[in-house]
Amino acid sequence: MPEQHYEPEPAVAGAAIGGTVDVGVEEAETLEKRPKGRGGPGPRDRPRSLWSDAWRDLRRNPVFIISGLVILFLVLISLWPSAIASGSPLKCDLARAQEGSRPGHPFGFDGQGCDVYTRTVHGARTSVTVGVLATLGVAVLGSVLGALAGFFGGVWDSVLSRVTDVFFAIPVVLGGLVLLSVITSNTVWPVIGFIVLLGWPQIFRIARGSVITVKQNDYVQAARALGASPSRLMLRHIAPNAVAPVIVVATIALGTYIALEATLSYLGVGLKPPSVSWGIDISAASPYVRNAPHALLWPSGALAITVLAFIMLGDAVRDALDPKLR
Amino acid sequence: MLLEVRDLHVEFHTRDGVAKAVDGVGYGVDAGETLAVLGESGSGKSVTAQAVMGILDTPPGRITGGEVLFQGRDLLKLKEEERRRVRGAEMAMIFQDALSSLNPVLSVGDQLAEMFTVHRGMSRRDARAKAVELMDRVRIPAARERVGQYPHQFSGGMRQRIMIAMALALEPALIIADEPTTALDVTVQAQVMELLSELQREYDMGLILITHDLGVVADVADRIAVMYAGRIVESAPVHDIYKAPAHPYTRGLLDSVPRLDLKGRELYAIKGLPPNLTHVPPGCAFHPRCPLARDVCRTDEPPLYEVSPTRGSACHFWRECLNG
Amino acid sequence: MGRYVVQRLLQMIPVFVGATLLIFLMVNVMGDPVAGLCGERRCDPATAGRLRQEFGLDRPVWQQYLTYMGNVFTGDFGTAFNGQEVTELMSTAFPVTIRLTLIAIVFEVVVGVTLGVVTGLRRGRPVDTGVLLFTLVVISVPTFVTGLLLQLLLGVKWDWIRPSVSTEAPFAELLLPGLVLASVSLAYVTRLTRTSIAENRRSDYVRTAVAKGLPRRRVVVRHLLRNSLIPVVTFIGADIGFLMGGAIVTERIFNIHGVGYQLYQGILRQSTQTVVGFVTVLVLVFLVANLVVDLLYAVLDPRIRYA
Repeated sequence: MPEQHYEPEPAVAGAAIGGTVDVGVEEAETLEKRPKGRGGPGPRDRPRSLWSDAWRDLRRNPVFIISGLVILFLVLISLWPSAIASGSPLKCDLARAQEGSRPGHPFGFDGQGCDVYTRTVHGARTSVTVGVLATLGVAVLGSVLGALAGFFGGVWDSVLSRVTDVFFAIPVVLGGLVLLSVITSNTVWPVIGFIVLLGWPQIFRIARGSVITVKQNDYVQAARALGASPSRLMLRHIAPNAVAPVIVVATIALGTYIALEATLSYLGVGLKPPSVSWGIDISAASPYVRNAPHALLWPSGALAITVLAFIMLGDAVRDALDPKLR
Repeated sequence: MLLEVRDLHVEFHTRDGVAKAVDGVGYGVDAGETLAVLGESGSGKSVTAQAVMGILDTPPGRITGGEVLFQGRDLLKLKEEERRRVRGAEMAMIFQDALSSLNPVLSVGDQLAEMFTVHRGMSRRDARAKAVELMDRVRIPAARERVGQYPHQFSGGMRQRIMIAMALALEPALIIADEPTTALDVTVQAQVMELLSELQREYDMGLILITHDLGVVADVADRIAVMYAGRIVESAPVHDIYKAPAHPYTRGLLDSVPRLDLKGRELYAIKGLPPNLTHVPPGCAFHPRCPLARDVCRTDEPPLYEVSPTRGSACHFWRECLNG
Repeated sequence: MGRYVVQRLLQMIPVFVGATLLIFLMVNVMGDPVAGLCGERRCDPATAGRLRQEFGLDRPVWQQYLTYMGNVFTGDFGTAFNGQEVTELMSTAFPVTIRLTLIAIVFEVVVGVTLGVVTGLRRGRPVDTGVLLFTLVVISVPTFVTGLLLQLLLGVKWDWIRPSVSTEAPFAELLLPGLVLASVSLAYVTRLTRTSIAENRRSDYVRTAVAKGLPRRRVVVRHLLRNSLIPVVTFIGADIGFLMGGAIVTERIFNIHGVGYQLYQGILRQSTQTVVGFVTVLVLVFLVANLVVDLLYAVLDPRIRYA
């Protein structure tokens, strides 16, 4: 990467983490940030005020509340889909293929005569499972490797960083097509595995970057000078401050992973019938779109709302954690 | 009077309420005179200057009252376009941090020349020649070679000279310098300050010097206005103040400067913190920190008492203070 | 500068080798390359053995990789499943995808930057909130859904355009697919520009520009935009590689015979040579685009010097 060749502005670095209010009055801000008593805010005050501030913001943010409720609903129906759609998503009647909305079948029927409502409700489970598990995998793998690379630097850092470069150079959908096209297992696991494999470098970079930034902060340097051990430095001082950007990116990534699963299933390499997934349904509906647009629209809508909810949640969390951007 | 600010009020709308950043401030400067505005950060000295220049961020800021008379006109009543023609040409401003205040991606020559092309309609080539001339004026060595360089290629002192050159470009009647030397090395501070006051004398300009550095003030200022929590608490000729301050806050400021003749004694510090501007204490805003505070200070807001025809103090007990 | 370019080119080599090797291994795992060569029928064991030897498939994978890369550098990308040269496929596929990518980038620049500047200067106003919400929706809806819906609406319902693109793929027919391909990046460009503008608007040098008495237009265009567009330009540059890789979905929806289409066919028919060949070129495009972006950075921002 090119080197930035100008003097750093310490004020900015501090504001990114310690900033409490964004009032637009420089002078009022300095008042707020003035340390209480001698020595200024201790390192342990920082994460606490950051998180409680963020939580106070989030509770008042309608975007957060709405997307949170949507996600809660999605989680509930993926745990107990039968609660609102009692039929089986695999029970189809070719005679009713492409029929529109009927009493008891509000979304109509798809090209195979399956009930679109039931399939759409049951499709949530696939999306939520893939999204949550893939994100967990990516977050754990990426942040552990990233934190280690950022903290210790040296050879491992260089090697890992080069490896992430390699993964970034491979177009995701393309990689998915190549790798998943050989896999015959029709479960969510290959898709999750693939997303973790190609997704971890993103979190790796974020985690590595924020660990390096936090490591350079004065209070961490001070702790180090006082003889704190690497593990203590890492857990006590660095991790709490580096974890915020990882959470934000992971939340947004969760939404994009759900979209990716649907895209791969649409291309025929993700999940395959008889699995139930919005991507499969959208793909199956596209040839009949002239006669039965509803079979395309309902799963598309469900997919869009789900992805939107996660991305908006991530956005709201980021705004709350980074007052500078507001 | 070149510039006269009367009863200026500026408010900021924040999440915690309305902050009265400037609460009835008045001061004046004559041509050739230097007024130093002293105060801690948060006292409203910069906000006042921004309101005078017309570069206040609105919102969140809002000017809610007062007049800014410049060469007889009330600037607050001008249309934005007329206001713009005054800015830069008739009054100019120098900021604290020259590195961030200069555009990082334009050469210093372009940024200087811009003054002439925009305000004077000069050709780009003539403006460029003017830029070199200006850099010579503020004693930047090898001006002709360096005119195409970018701000980050100059040292801190040189950058501040460029800021001064930019302010000086159109020979304005008034310059407002907001902490012009705070960001500089001590050795460079003196040079830059000297240059600024020399040029001020040469062009007979009015200068408002916003600072918290009492050392600088003693050398160059004619008058001092001390601000606290959005108000002027003391206003006086510089020698009067150094001889005997008429406000306990001014006294506190003076006593917290290290002095060679008092070496070895503990340095005085004003106790407590400046108030939150959304919740200014009732009565005298300084009373929670004031060694002279009595009951009346907690209830009655002191007016600016006339200490002498050229001097005012907003302290109920200014006499007591004056006598030490 | 020259030294920096050389250094960057050297750095690209391991990434290039890593990425192509990874794909090479994936494709080899993918299945029996010989199976594809016999067309729809199964190969009889004798023919398969002969083909295996002919193509050097009996040797270890790393040797195959080296031989393959050796051939690639002499311009020989091998043959596809139907006996066509891979280079021949490329010469018909790449122009189409390049056209599609160009259209997408024009949309990103014109629409994305304009919306970003407008909203960045009017933060918190209704326009800003509206556009922001719209970009969120665009980012959230997967490209294949956006594509299918637009195709349904414009191509089928309203009959404004042909729902699928002809083999020659002229510019006019690629407009809608280009917009679909650009959609997500366009939303990102809007948001990036908006943030950048809004952040720089409060910067000290913009305050200086105002204090100099410059007209608002000049403050915005010369001082604010110039600085704010630096990250945007680099984003768009880096996006070229992603767009060409991401064209698979768009090309599938609109039946465009570009790179994505050929790759998809190659994967379906297990044509190793086609897949590896196209991916190799795509990776190269991606790496070169990133290098150009880094160099562009220095042109746009004088503070950056290459060590």
